[in-house]
Amino acid sequence: MNEPSLNQFLVFSAALFCVGVYGLLTRRNLIAMLMSVELILNAAALNFVAFHHYKFGGEVGGAVFPVFIIAVAAAEAAIVLAIIIALFRHKKELDVEQVNTLKH
Amino acid sequence: MKTVLFYIISIFSLLCAIFVVTTRHLFRAALALIGVLTGIAGMYLLIDAQFLSAVQITVYIGGIVVLVVYVVMLVSDVTQKGFADTPPWRKAVGGILAAMLFVLLLIASAPLALIKELAARSATVTEIGRALISPEKGGFVLAFELISILLIAAVIGALTIAFPGDFTDKEKEEKEIEEVKK
Repeated sequence: MNEPSLNQFLVFSAALFCVGVYGLLTRRNLIAMLMSVELILNAAALNFVAFHHYKFGGEVGGAVFPVFIIAVAAAEAAIVLAIIIALFRHKKELDVEQVNTLKH
Repeated sequence: MKTVLFYIISIFSLLCAIFVVTTRHLFRAALALIGVLTGIAGMYLLIDAQFLSAVQITVYIGGIVVLVVYVVMLVSDVTQKGFADTPPWRKAVGGILAAMLFVLLLIASAPLALIKELAARSATVTEIGRALISPEKGGFVLAFELISILLIAAVIGALTIAFPGDFTDKEKEEKEIEEVKK
């Protein structure tokens, strides 16, 4: 009775995911877009853990995968921040609408 | 009791998340991101995933967010100059698309409640540790090693990208150095 149910976790992570997608669609700043991606990855990891807890009786894969997700997020953040530093050095600009030299 | 805690944490995290994607001040967005990540670490604790909660706080908050804050401060004259605002129609379209996605996810997750339920429990730290380095069936040693390679590749790649100077254009570099000397 006192425990939150799987559905509550699913609704929460769906909401978090959609907030992240909204940020990814509307933000124009590279750093802000990176933060939106972190929200999305967290929502996915929370789903893994919630399912492994409620439906699969502690099947260990559901607890191991979030660790991998976090590691991939760390690698991704390192790369994106390096790109931001390089971009800032060359263009003095982080707006994704202005930085379009690869587009043409 | 846990349900009440769950609601408090989820409302706090969602408010922080909305603040992350709407504020124009990047530093505040990074601080709100810490709020979201802490809330999710609390949720992990609610379903007995203590190891993941600790990893979340050490790696995410102690590593990634600190890196983000560091870069925000490094490029602060861009962030303070301010950006051209996103046009309102695009915000509206983004909001509608995200809301539609939310409804879709809710519809899609309804039948999941029908999966046969085992007794609710979480993997212990011992189980997670054994699974991470076990080469037997159900072990994750290959993925574990691949992640290590990925992390090393990412670090080398980040160094290469962020390293000052253009390796391919020596003349330009020398010219720039001379200009600096003048």
